[in-house]
Amino acid sequence: MTAPHFRKILVANRGEIACRVMRTLAEMGIASVAINHRVEARARHVRMANEAVEITGDTPVAAHLDIDQIVAAARATGADAIHPGYGFLSENARFAEAVAAAGIAFIGPDAATISLMGDKISARNFAEENGVAVAPSVMPTDDLDQFIARAEKIGFPLLIKAAAGGGGKGMSIVRSAADLAEAARIAASEAQRYFGDGRVYAETYVERPRHIEVQVLGDGEGGAIHLFERECSVQRRFQKIIEEAPSANLPEKLREDICASAVRLAAAANYKNAGTVEYILGADGRFFFLEMNTRLQVEHPVTEMITGLDLVRAQIEIAAGKGLPLAQADVTARGHAIECRICAEDPDRDFMPETGQVQYLGVPEEGWLRFESALDQGQKVTADFDPMLAKLVVHGKDRHEAVDRSIAALDGLALLGVKTNIDYLARVLDHGAFRAGELHTGFVSEHKEALASAAIPAATLPQVLAAAALGFREFQDLALGTPEPYAAIGGWRN
Amino acid sequence: MAIRLSLDDKVHHVTILRRHPHLVLVIDGEEHEITRLPGPGDGRGTMSIGGHDVGFARATLGDRQVVRLGGRTFDVSRVDPFSKGGAAGGAQDALRAPMPGAVVTVHRQPGDRVVRGEPLVTIESMKLQTALPAPRDGVVAGILRAEGETFEKDEVIATLEPETEDA
Repeated sequence: MTAPHFRKILVANRGEIACRVMRTLAEMGIASVAINHRVEARARHVRMANEAVEITGDTPVAAHLDIDQIVAAARATGADAIHPGYGFLSENARFAEAVAAAGIAFIGPDAATISLMGDKISARNFAEENGVAVAPSVMPTDDLDQFIARAEKIGFPLLIKAAAGGGGKGMSIVRSAADLAEAARIAASEAQRYFGDGRVYAETYVERPRHIEVQVLGDGEGGAIHLFERECSVQRRFQKIIEEAPSANLPEKLREDICASAVRLAAAANYKNAGTVEYILGADGRFFFLEMNTRLQVEHPVTEMITGLDLVRAQIEIAAGKGLPLAQADVTARGHAIECRICAEDPDRDFMPETGQVQYLGVPEEGWLRFESALDQGQKVTADFDPMLAKLVVHGKDRHEAVDRSIAALDGLALLGVKTNIDYLARVLDHGAFRAGELHTGFVSEHKEALASAAIPAATLPQVLAAAALGFREFQDLALGTPEPYAAIGGWRN
Repeated sequence: MAIRLSLDDKVHHVTILRRHPHLVLVIDGEEHEITRLPGPGDGRGTMSIGGHDVGFARATLGDRQVVRLGGRTFDVSRVDPFSKGGAAGGAQDALRAPMPGAVVTVHRQPGDRVVRGEPLVTIESMKLQTALPAPRDGVVAGILRAEGETFEKDEVIATLEPETEDA
């Protein structure tokens, strides 16, 4: 089989990830096509692309989920492949199918693999059949009472989840038999409301679990390698905010076991694309399969930083049938990388999303730093899209240096005009437990008080007030010594 | 001249005590000598206050200054009634002149979507320029005074479209 060479790729996404994909396309000499809703006509991803197609929808998000329009845009522009990025249609089997049916290459696995991994239950069964450890659990049935009786038998604590779920919706922890029935009913109704599928399932809940995930690459013919693991335990609202590679305090044997398990899964599925196998890891060293994401991950840059590989390039080459970019034995890791997700939100108000306008954006520039964003100064941050504004990714020779550099980079980052979690992220990184690598998915709530905004230091307050006062034009004019008549008219005398 | 600033719901006072040989500000009753002043406008700046060089970044949003200093971000707003554009009207749809003057710059045009605090027009009164901020998020309905035109106190300078469910 001769490998196709892509000349033009449509990026079915927006924001930082569309920009990041287009950067690699430019390096590879492949033309790029952007899609945009009317409200983002001047967005950076549109300006970066060689051409852009406007898509319509009741909301901007609806436009980005419109399979027919996006496939038509790819056809109209003569794109020979579509890169879905993450989110939106990246794990939508119908999209992958429609793209393939149009004779366009989908940069991702085929629809059947997306469906297999997209359903928590089929993915779990497949993992179990292929020797990948899964947590003891109860499968859902349409009979909620029978489900409750079975769940009680596997013991507590239990985690109840929506079968079709994701993003923490319809999820709860149950610590005693007395609470089980009520929790199951609530989870089932939430699952129905969010996903249109009321089935829930329960599994052993691992206390103080760590979220460890393995980056894999598969060639679609049973060949698969791993690019080591990432630790994504620091989360708020069940969503990651700090990710790192490699994970802290992970015994080498355990790392090897987890990575080998992920490769086994990818190979068994004849997986084709970059993918991520997610696990929870207990304090006792037991790890269980969580899910597989069949797309590029938000936090992929930390893996790129330690391995020196370009994952988007690897995805494109695999989709073009060129196979894996390197053999397992040639994959090496150097140093430590940390990613911080900069979000428009207020950590002091339970991470509620914020809106505003980016009045000033100042990004520190260092060789060890990647600032991934599609932000422009003057840009409005609205509630139309996800509150993640940017990713700050830092490399260091070891974890200690990566933490220090991340804090320094966050301190030097000025994103003014919309409230963000920048200061909060720096406090997390500087917390003793984070520095010690004592991580688990409850880190943010466990250290809530220590991570809250502290009082303003006495020495800082007058500095802030002076800088603010002098920012007002008329105050600065007077402070600088405006010509006397002006000052006199202003009612002020020297 | 004194200015009152609000930070974390506390009101602070900043007054110019002297300009020569150095600027001296009285901040909450204490004198602070500023031997190096930051440049005007938004962006990064440095000043020397009390013998310390302090770097910061700053952005103006109408009556607010967002200051990033020492790895923290501070949202400081001005509490002077002087520049409370629109307060006289009560309704959040109209931006009224806080004093008589002339329009210097029109920043936004009808149809533009704006966020609260964003400058709509800059006016000059008594030789002082002031940015009049949007009283709320919304869409500009009209700019009723062009650049160079004069107005009286409480005249409506700009209007926002009435709020709808998607505003």
